[in-house]
Amino acid sequence: MDDYDTIYGSDRGPQITIKEADSRHAQIVLSNCDLAFANALRRIMLAEIPTIAIDIVEVQTNTSVIPDEFLCHRLGMVPLDSTNIDDKLIYTRDCFCDQYCERCSVTLSLHARCTGEDNVTVYARDLVVAEGAQLGSPVINDPEGQGTVICKLRKGQELRLKCIAKKGIAKEHAKWAPTAAVGFEYDPWNKLRHIDYWYEEDAKEEWPKSKYADWEEPPIEGEPFNYDAVPSRFYLDIESAGSLPPDEILQQGIKYLQEKLATVIETFSNKNEVGDGFGDGVRSPAQDYAMGGMGGGGAGYETPYQGGRTPFGGGGFGGATEYGGSANGWS
Amino acid sequence: MVTAVKPNTSSNTLRREDLFRNPPKDKSAFPALLNAVRPHIESFNVITAEGGLLDLARQDIGVKCVFDGKRDGKWLGNKLSLRIDKIYVGKPKISERDKTTLKREIFPTECRERHITYRGKLSVKLGLKINNGPWVSQDREVGNIPIMVRSNRCHLENLAPHDLVERKEESEELGGYFIVNGIEKLIRMLIVQRRNHPMAIIRPSFTGRGKSYTNMGVQIRCVRPDQSSQTNVLHYLNDGNVTFRFSWRKNEYLVPVIMIMKALVETNDREIFDGLLTTKDMEDTFLTDRVELLLRTFKGYQLLTRKENLQYLGEKFRIVMGVSPDMSDVEVGKEFLRRIVLVHLEDPRDKYRLLLFMVRKLYALAEGTCQSDNPDAIQHQEVLLGGFLYGMIIKERAEEYLESIVKEVRREVQRGNVLDFNNKEHRTRMFQRTSGNIGNSLEYFISTGNLSSPSGLDLQQVSGFTVVAEKINFYRFISHFRMVHRGSFFAQLKTTTVRKLLPESWGFLCPVHTPDGSPCGLLNHLAHKCRITTSPSDVSSIRKTLVSLGVTSPATSPLPHSATVCVQLDGCIVGWCSPKLARVVADTLRFWKVEGSHNIPLDLEIGFVPISRGGQYPGIYLFSHQARIIRPVKYLPLDKEDLVGPFEQPYMSIAVTPPEIVPGGSTHVEFDPTNILSIVANMTPFSDFNQSPRNMYQCQMGKQAMGTPGTALRHRSDNKMYRLQTGQTPIVRSPLYDEYGLDNFPNGMNAVVAVISYTGYDMDDAMILNKSAHERGFGHGTVYKTEKLGWAEERRSRAKESRKAYQRIGIRQDWLRTVDMDGLPTVGQLVRDGDAVAVYHAIPKEGDRARPENKVFIYKGSEDAYIDEVRLLGSEGGDNKPMQEISIKYRVPRPPNIGDKFSSRHGQKGVCSQKWPSIDMPFTESGMQPDIIINPHAFPSRMTIGMFVESLAGKSGALHGIAQDSTPFRFDEENTAADYFGHQLKVAGYNYHGNEPMYSGITGEELHADIYIGVVYYQRLRHMVNDKYQVRTTGRISELTHQPIKGRKKGGGIRVGEMERDSLLAHGGAFLLQDRLFNCSDYTQTWICRACGSFLSTTPSVRGSNFGSIVRCRRCAVPATGLEEEEMVWEDGLGGKFVGGKDTTVVAVPYVLKYLDVELAAMGIAMKFNISP
Repeated sequence: MDDYDTIYGSDRGPQITIKEADSRHAQIVLSNCDLAFANALRRIMLAEIPTIAIDIVEVQTNTSVIPDEFLCHRLGMVPLDSTNIDDKLIYTRDCFCDQYCERCSVTLSLHARCTGEDNVTVYARDLVVAEGAQLGSPVINDPEGQGTVICKLRKGQELRLKCIAKKGIAKEHAKWAPTAAVGFEYDPWNKLRHIDYWYEEDAKEEWPKSKYADWEEPPIEGEPFNYDAVPSRFYLDIESAGSLPPDEILQQGIKYLQEKLATVIETFSNKNEVGDGFGDGVRSPAQDYAMGGMGGGGAGYETPYQGGRTPFGGGGFGGATEYGGSANGWS
Repeated sequence: MVTAVKPNTSSNTLRREDLFRNPPKDKSAFPALLNAVRPHIESFNVITAEGGLLDLARQDIGVKCVFDGKRDGKWLGNKLSLRIDKIYVGKPKISERDKTTLKREIFPTECRERHITYRGKLSVKLGLKINNGPWVSQDREVGNIPIMVRSNRCHLENLAPHDLVERKEESEELGGYFIVNGIEKLIRMLIVQRRNHPMAIIRPSFTGRGKSYTNMGVQIRCVRPDQSSQTNVLHYLNDGNVTFRFSWRKNEYLVPVIMIMKALVETNDREIFDGLLTTKDMEDTFLTDRVELLLRTFKGYQLLTRKENLQYLGEKFRIVMGVSPDMSDVEVGKEFLRRIVLVHLEDPRDKYRLLLFMVRKLYALAEGTCQSDNPDAIQHQEVLLGGFLYGMIIKERAEEYLESIVKEVRREVQRGNVLDFNNKEHRTRMFQRTSGNIGNSLEYFISTGNLSSPSGLDLQQVSGFTVVAEKINFYRFISHFRMVHRGSFFAQLKTTTVRKLLPESWGFLCPVHTPDGSPCGLLNHLAHKCRITTSPSDVSSIRKTLVSLGVTSPATSPLPHSATVCVQLDGCIVGWCSPKLARVVADTLRFWKVEGSHNIPLDLEIGFVPISRGGQYPGIYLFSHQARIIRPVKYLPLDKEDLVGPFEQPYMSIAVTPPEIVPGGSTHVEFDPTNILSIVANMTPFSDFNQSPRNMYQCQMGKQAMGTPGTALRHRSDNKMYRLQTGQTPIVRSPLYDEYGLDNFPNGMNAVVAVISYTGYDMDDAMILNKSAHERGFGHGTVYKTEKLGWAEERRSRAKESRKAYQRIGIRQDWLRTVDMDGLPTVGQLVRDGDAVAVYHAIPKEGDRARPENKVFIYKGSEDAYIDEVRLLGSEGGDNKPMQEISIKYRVPRPPNIGDKFSSRHGQKGVCSQKWPSIDMPFTESGMQPDIIINPHAFPSRMTIGMFVESLAGKSGALHGIAQDSTPFRFDEENTAADYFGHQLKVAGYNYHGNEPMYSGITGEELHADIYIGVVYYQRLRHMVNDKYQVRTTGRISELTHQPIKGRKKGGGIRVGEMERDSLLAHGGAFLLQDRLFNCSDYTQTWICRACGSFLSTTPSVRGSNFGSIVRCRRCAVPATGLEEEEMVWEDGLGGKFVGGKDTTVVAVPYVLKYLDVELAAMGIAMKFNISP
C-alpha cells in the first residue's frame, strides 16, 4: 500500500522550503508529496481562500462620467486588507442578518468632490473604512500611497458612495482572488518526460533553462529512463494580489485544503449522518436514497482501502487530522 | 530589411493622452485623417465657392422665356425673360420666425441630438426682363438644403480640435457628411466613365440600336464646367456609316455624324475626307471605302451649307430642346450643338476636330488596328464626387424652378388673366403659386438616396446614392468616406467581369478591402494614399509649352504626314506630332511637371499611349480635370514626389521597392508597398503572412467590432451604438495606426491566447474565455439605444388627444419607481421590461367623452437597461414650443456571454463557448493563464500565419514593454519575422518559437506538448446572442392558419422547413415530426361528419341534445316535418328544425386543412374525408 504509505505514512510528510519571499510574493518548494496534492494546494490558493471585497455599493451621488455599474465594478476590484479574515468576519450566507451586518461585512464610504478647476483623481486611499472595523482597508502599495485609481472628477462632479465589503472566494468572482497567479512547476530537467519539447534544430538553444533547474540534479547522459518515477518536488511561486500576504495565503491554503479533506473524511466516516457533512440544502431525495442504501455496505461506493475506512480517517483522528496536527510546524 | 529601419517601439501613450487633454488650438494632430475625407469636403466647397459650380451651372441654365400672347395670331406677345443671377447657400441658422434667440447659429451636434436636419438657407436672385427692358432682380428663398459638416457652409469649417471640442464635437471631427433627421448620411463616391476621353467600346447591346448597327462604338462622356455631363456615342454601322447618338431627357436620338460635323463648321466633303485620312491612310482601302461611303450616304439629305444643316437640326430638335418660341431654327441648331454635342468644348472648331478624331478611332476599332478600351478598368474611370452630384441636382432643381415659373405664367395667360410683369404684386403672386422648395427635394435626396430627375443626370442609377455613415466603430466610419461604388446598375449584372480585380487598379483601389457576397468587387475602397482632385489644375500655358516642344498646332493645315499622334488636353485636340517625338514630349513634360518648371501642374496626368500593333489607340492624352484619382510615387530622375493617375500608370514602370528598380527602365518607385492598401486593410498586422481572403474577412470584421465609435458619445443620440468599455491600444500595430490617430478609438483588447485543444469546448471555431478575465472586465461592452417619445401638445389635428407634461393627479405608485416627480425618467435608473419611462397627461379632444388622465410610456425590451440620458426637445420651426418630444438614451450593459462573437485581426472569428473557471484553465510555469483558448484546427486550412506572428510579436512586446511594428512587407526570407521576434523572446527568457510548457489546471500534470501561447489583439464583434437567440414553446399564432408566426421580435418560431422535414423522415424521427409539424404547430380538434366526410357542414345544435354529440351534420340532416318524435328533432342557431345528421365525431387535424377546405369550398370544390374506424 504503497504510494500512500510512502508519502503520508512515513514520518516525513510533505515539506515546504521557502526559497524566496517578500511582502508580495513567495517562492516555495513543496516536496515529498504527490502531484494531486500540490495541484490541490495551487487551486485552493487561487480560488478558495476567502478575502474581503466590495460587493454591494449604495450609490448616493454619482455625477462623474463613469456610469454606476462600471464604478461599482471598479470598486469591487480594489484589493482590501483581508488578514486573518476568518477570525473577524463570517460569510453573509452564514449570518443571521438580512442583507449585511457588522458580523459579516465591512462598510467603506467614499466621498469625493471636485471643486477646483483641475480635475480630481479619486484613489483607493479615499475609501474610508467604518470605525471599528478590523479589516477591509484598501491595500496601498505604491510609493505615493494612493492606491489604485477609481475615477476622475471634473469641476462640480461628486461621488458619494457607501460600499459594503463582504467575505467571499474567487470561485465566485475574481475580485476575491488572493493571488494574481501561482507559478507551478515540477521536474525542471524533464526527467519524467511528461512533455515532449518541440524544437527546430537544437532544443538546448531554443528552450530556456528552467529557473529551478539548479535545484535538481541534471540528467546523466545515458541514464536509463525510470518509468515508475512520479513528480515529487514542486516549485510554486505565489504572487499576492495584495489583500493577503503570501505567507498567509499559503497557510490559509493549507488550512482550507485540510478543511476540505476533513469534510470528505467526515462524510465518508459518518455514513449514517451524511446530512451533516454536506449541509441540508440542495441534495436531491434520490441521493439520500442512494446514500442510505450504502449503509448496508455497498461496495461500489467505498474506496478500496480498508473497507469503509480511508487512509485519512483510518487512524481515528476525529476532527483533527494528521495535517491539523502538523500545520503549526509548517509555518 | 529588419535592420535597415529602426522600428518605432513607442506606443505614444503620452502624446495621445496629452492631445486628448489639451486638444490643439491650431490644427489637427492627425492630418492623414483629414486627408481621408478631403474629396468629400472639397467637392462640396467648390459648389458654393465664389465662381464655383453653382455659378457655372447658373450660367449654363441661361435664360428662360415666356410670352403673354394667346398664341392665336402671329404676335407672340410680350416677352418675359427669366434667369438666375445668383444662387446663395447660407449657413445653418435658426428660423427667422424666432425673434427671441440671440445666438442664431445651429451647430451639427444640436441637429444630431434633436434628430433634425443640419441645413442652410438656399436663395436665388432671379433676373427678370420684359421685352428688351432692363434686367430687374428679385430675391427668392427656395428652402433649406442640407449642409455638409465641416464644409465652407458649416460653422465648423477650419476649426481646430480645441474649438471642435468646445462645440461638443469629436476632437478629430472629420465632417464630409450631412445630418438629416439626426442621422449622419453621406453621398458615396461613384465610379463613372473618365470624362472627355473618347473610348472605343465593343458592346453587344449596340447592335440593338437599329438595322445594320454593329457592336462597335466610340463613347465619350463630356463634362461641362459645372460638372454635369452628357454622353455622346458614335456608332459604327455595317456599311461603314457612322451615327451620332445621345440621350436627352431619358430619350435617345440618332443623328448622322456628317450632319453634325457640317453644322459645327463651314466645311466640305474634301475637308472632312482630309481630316479623316492622312496621306498614308490613302492606301488603306478599308478606310477610304468607308469614308467615301460615309460622305456619299449623307448626300441624300441634300444639306450642303452649315446654315442648312443647322436649320435642319434646329427644326427637328426645337420641341425636344424646349427652347423659346422666338428663336430661329438656326439658333436652335446652334443651341443644340452647344448643349448636346461634345459639351466639354466651347469652340465648334474644337468639337469638329474631336469628332473627326472619334470617327478615326472608330474606324481603327472596326479595322482592328486598335483594341477596344475596357470600361471596367480604372484607367477609363473617374470618381463622381458627392459634392459634384449635389451641385448637379441643385442645378437641375433650379432650372426646374425657372421652368415652373414659366409654366405658371403660361397657364395664367391661357386662363386669360392679365399679367403685368412690371407690377410687383403680380410678380409676387406669380412666385407664390410656384412651389419653389428646392431644399425639400435635396433633403429627400440625402435621406433616401433616390434621385428624381427628368434628365437622369447622365447616370446609370436612380437610387442608392447615399448611405448612412454608421458609427459602429471608427474603422467603419472612416471606411465610408473612402468607399467607391461601381454603381448599383452593375450589382444586378449577371456577369462578374465588372467585379474583377484588374492590375490597373494597383495603388488606386485597395485589393483587399472589398466585402464578400453581393457587393464584392463593386464596392471598393481607395488606397490610403490615394487622392481625388477636386479642382482643375492650371493648364493655361500648356499649349505654348507643347508647341515649343515641336508639337504641331491643329490650326496648321494641312497637317504634315509624319504627325500621326494626336495630343489631347482634356478631350481637346491641342496638336499633332510624330510617334518618335511623342515619347520625347511625354517624358519632357513629366520631368518638367515634377520639377515644377514651365508652369506645368504636378497633378497633370500625362497619358502617353505608344503606337502598338492592335493595342490601345495611340496618342498623348493630358488630363487636368477634377474627379481624377491620383496617387503619389517617387520620380526617380529627380527623387521627388510625382502624382500619377490611372490613365498613365499602365504605360509607366513603377518599381514596388527600391531593389526592384530596373536600371534604365523604371522611372518611378513606390514610397511604400503598403500604399496600395486602404486604411482598414493597413491595420491588419502582418497581413502579408496571411492567406489573402483572410485579410478580406478582417476588413469586414474590423468594421463590425464593438469598439469606440467616438469620444463625444454624450452629445450623440444614434439609434443604436456599440461601445467597448475596456478597449486597449494594440501592442502590435503599424505606425499608420498612430498616423491616423486610431488610439482615440480603441477597437479591441490584447488577450493572452493559447492555441490548444482543451476540454473540447474550443471545437469548430469556438473559443474558451477565462472566467476570471471576464470578471475583471475583459470584453465588457455597452449598447446604447435611443428612443424618441412624442410629447407634442398638439401633435396633429387628427390625433385623438393632446399631451401635456405630467400632472400630479392620478399618478400610480409603481410608476414612481422609475419616473421622477416631473413625469420623466430618472437618469441612472435601471428599467426592466414593462417599467414606466415617462408619464404624460392626456387631454382628450373636445367632444370626446373620456376624462383627462395620466398615461404612461412603457419600456419595451427584454433586456434590463439603464436610463443614460434624457433630452427634452422643443419644436424646430421657430415657434419655440418647449418639450415637444423627449428622447431617452438607454444603456444596456453587455458583458461577454456564451454565444458572443469574437475575432482576432486575421479573419479568425469564433464564438465564446464557455467561461471556464480560471483554476481549470491550463497555465504556464509562471502561473499565467490564457484569457482565450482557441483550437489549433483553426489554422491549417486557413493559413493565417500572420496571427502566429502577431502572437509572437505581442508576447515579446508585452515582455519588453514595447509596441511592435506590424507593417506588412517588412520581413523577407533572409530576415524572417519568426527570427526577429524569436530572438526578442529568447532574450526575455522564453522559448524561441513562442511555445511554453503548460500544465493542466485540473490535474496539475504537465501537458504532453508545449503550447503556443502569446498576446493577440482580439476584437469583440457586435453580433451577440442577446440580439439573436430565438426560442419559443407557445406563443402568438397566425390568425389565418393558426400556425406559429415567424420573426424573433414577435416571439415567433423557427420554421421546420422541407429540408428539415426530409432529414427527420430519413432518420425515422416520426414522433418528432408529428410533434413539430402538428402538435406544436396548428393542432386543432374539430367536428366532422362521418357520413358525408365534411368539416364544413357540421353545426352545433341548439336544442335536442339527447343523443350523443351535440354537433350535427347539417347536410346529412333533413328538415323536420313536424311529425318526428320530439327527441329526434334538433334546432340550429337560426331556429331551423332538423332531423338526423347525428353521425359526427371529433378529429384532430392541422388547422390549415380546415382552411384549405374553406378556400376550396369558395371555388365550388368540396372535400370529402373518409373517417375510420
